[in-house]
Amino acid sequence: MALFILRRLGVMLLTILCLTFVVFFLTNLQPNLEKLAKTQGNMRMTDEQVEIWLANRGYDRPVFVRYGEWLGVLPGWVGETSQGEPVGRCTAEGMPPLAEGEAPPAFCGVLQGNWGWSTVFRAPVGEIISTRLGLTGILMFWVMVVMVPMALLIGVLAGMREGSRTDRSLSTVSIISTATPEYVSGVILIAVFASSAVGLRWFNGTATSAMENVTFQNFTLPVVTIALYGMGYIARMTRASMTEVMTAQYIRTARLKGVSFRNIVMKHALRNALIAPFTVIMLQFPWLLNGVVIVETLFNYKGFGWTLVQAAGNNDIELLLAVSVVSVIVVLVTQLISDIGYVYLNPRIRIS
Amino acid sequence: MTKSIDTGRRVHPGAEMYAREHLAGKLSRREFLTRATALGVTAAGAYALIGVPRPAQAQQTPVQGGTLRIQTSVKAMKEPRAYDWSEVGNQSRGFLEYLVEYQRDGSFRGMLLESWEANEDATQYILNVRPGVTWNNGDPFTAEDVARNIRGWCDTAMEDNSMAARMTGLIDPDTGQAREGSVEVVDDLTVRLNLSSPDISVIANMSDYPAAITHASYDGGDVFDHGIGTGPFRPVEMEVGVRAVIERATDHTWWGTEVYGGPYLDRIEFIDYGTDPAAWLAAAESGEVDLLYESVGDFIDILDGIGWTRTETVTAATLVFRTNQVAEVGGRVPYANVDVRKALALAVDNATVLELGYSDRGTVAENHHVCPIHPAYADIGPAPFDPATAKEMMDASEFADFEHELITVDDEWERNSGAAVAAQIRDAGINIRHTVLPGATFWNDWTKYPFSATSWNHRPLGVQVMALAYRSGEAWNESAYASPEFDALMAEALSIADADARREVMAKIEQKMRDDAVIIQPYWRSLYNHHNGNVVNAEKHPSHEFHLYSFGFAS
Repeated sequence: MALFILRRLGVMLLTILCLTFVVFFLTNLQPNLEKLAKTQGNMRMTDEQVEIWLANRGYDRPVFVRYGEWLGVLPGWVGETSQGEPVGRCTAEGMPPLAEGEAPPAFCGVLQGNWGWSTVFRAPVGEIISTRLGLTGILMFWVMVVMVPMALLIGVLAGMREGSRTDRSLSTVSIISTATPEYVSGVILIAVFASSAVGLRWFNGTATSAMENVTFQNFTLPVVTIALYGMGYIARMTRASMTEVMTAQYIRTARLKGVSFRNIVMKHALRNALIAPFTVIMLQFPWLLNGVVIVETLFNYKGFGWTLVQAAGNNDIELLLAVSVVSVIVVLVTQLISDIGYVYLNPRIRIS
Repeated sequence: MTKSIDTGRRVHPGAEMYAREHLAGKLSRREFLTRATALGVTAAGAYALIGVPRPAQAQQTPVQGGTLRIQTSVKAMKEPRAYDWSEVGNQSRGFLEYLVEYQRDGSFRGMLLESWEANEDATQYILNVRPGVTWNNGDPFTAEDVARNIRGWCDTAMEDNSMAARMTGLIDPDTGQAREGSVEVVDDLTVRLNLSSPDISVIANMSDYPAAITHASYDGGDVFDHGIGTGPFRPVEMEVGVRAVIERATDHTWWGTEVYGGPYLDRIEFIDYGTDPAAWLAAAESGEVDLLYESVGDFIDILDGIGWTRTETVTAATLVFRTNQVAEVGGRVPYANVDVRKALALAVDNATVLELGYSDRGTVAENHHVCPIHPAYADIGPAPFDPATAKEMMDASEFADFEHELITVDDEWERNSGAAVAAQIRDAGINIRHTVLPGATFWNDWTKYPFSATSWNHRPLGVQVMALAYRSGEAWNESAYASPEFDALMAEALSIADADARREVMAKIEQKMRDDAVIIQPYWRSLYNHHNGNVVNAEKHPSHEFHLYSFGFAS
């Protein structure tokens, strides 16, 4: 088991390395650097000014070297501005202030705990990621609270009696909900429940105020939008697993013994039927991250997904790298948990 | 008509001349006010010159206290001289004040300057600093502060200093700094400006958003972190793209309380809802904000519909479709050819663009970027519209089968106007494609797009935009228009203080702009904003300014 986890962690590190290098390489293509210089300096800069701007900030050196600096395996860049003032990666904004007379550290990359400086938000990347991830965490928590019980309930009800009217109608609902992407359902929900167009106005069409104070009114729509999408999928999986269990021999035996239907479902079928949905729920996390990007932008909720959009749109290199690292960790850790959890739920499976 | 001016000083002869012109019907009242106050006459004095009592401020006095939440983009703070958005100016306007403030009625009134006078040919200005002003760290505000800031504006070594282009009369072209003796500190409360050539826009330029006055200890960087200013508020919190907060500085006695009243609010929050007006509407509907920065397009009617109060201002703000005359497309330089540019302009009927792109909320413009409300506007007739000739001219050029690409930002009215322009060019039989880019992508390379739209803010005088936007090599000239003849005309216009005399030159400039087909300029925009009905003194300002000290709640 320990070996299995270790190997998984190794794979995770390797994935992070590869992915961050790809992101680093793409964000450091010349046109993207030009874009960065213009958004940070001045929209109307000339090509020469752009080059000077980039050189003054160390952007004109080979991509591998700078990637090494970002990682913290190569010493940080040191140079000077056109006015002759010294500048450098390890003395840049966002680094912890130095004591009097103390020399700046030679290495200052991710390995040294320095995630860098966000050019869009003018703040340390580590700080931004932690606040924004916290906000998304709140959103995800409520999504899970709404989505998982509802999905399991629908799945179990539908799978109890395969082919019944309940099964047909619940299955239709879950297929529709999972086939509607967030950017469609979100807009429909806003139009129906938040605008004067329909006139219901039960909820807020924006979740900006939820960043400080979550209320039923300002948080319902974003939560429901994400939950609806994931719910249908989990419900379908639960139903499939439930119907399979319900045809098993031991269920038939229990029926013949005269156990009540209620007891068959609750005591005999449910535990076995929930093994598959567990994996599905864990695998939903990466998909939720995906949904969060759309929903946070749509509802102006400034969490992790919104940060990703801003970082990508403005070519904020270090912020984008940190976002990728976090995403890889979320995806691989949830998979790891699902694999390990599966072993405990299903005694027939053994790892390694 | 009375000549007694409340300050008791002699009235500038130019102002008296403007007053005669206004009474003779040659100048509108707005033009008259803009020009007379720019010469140092107070607004009340200017009204007196034309024998009209100053309209009493009809607005009620706001109640004291409250938190105002404003929907607006929250942009990263910069050194004030490098400000490139009105929003940035508004974010710091609560604590960094200006020498002069541009009013909604087109006049100027003194903020950190109590008054000013210009000599007859507008080459020398006396600036009288307001007595009794202090910085919020306790330092007194003096003529030295004014002179230091003005010299800073003249620093051309700072690559993104946009004030330098507005202060050319004070700059020594050899050193790129303020000329020796151009900014004189006469005494503690008086500064004298000696210009190398007449400049009629000096006072107007001092009200522009990059002209925020900073403290001696400020040396670049985020003004929110520095926080020292003369204004009644102090910066509290700033998160780019999320929100900015300022609060009333309770430990600081603001000079303006006695002079203009206010401040009324305890706290002001600028909240960013992105660039999609639908999100602004959602914020308004859910009561998360009290005031919108600006209402645009169809959303103006929708916001009326949900019961919000609309305010409007007529302006010289505009959308300009410009070609870039040096841009290469596939190895060719299509827009260096004047016939190609002319053909595009001929194919577009400006009134149609106004109707389709901006729902008729403005007035038709004439492809030369001088607005009828500008003092020296010369009427050279509407822009010609002749799609048949356009097609012929295009076919006759070497770019007959060239596919033009019009790039606009994905912003309600700019996109719609772009679509209207492209559709008309296509109707004329010229090959064109309309590309809409999201805001995040559009701005990265926008000055180099071969054919694109630039949105321009209102400026009080016509020459101000022209000098900034169309002179050769000027920082904001993304049309890459370079015509020595035009530059010479501009230099001439900038030195004629008398608007009537200048009008003759302006007529030539306007004709030159149109002959060279530098821009297609379909309309002048009226600007709107909405508030929830309880906000006082927050009417839309022609230059998007928030005069935060006067904002407040009715109840």
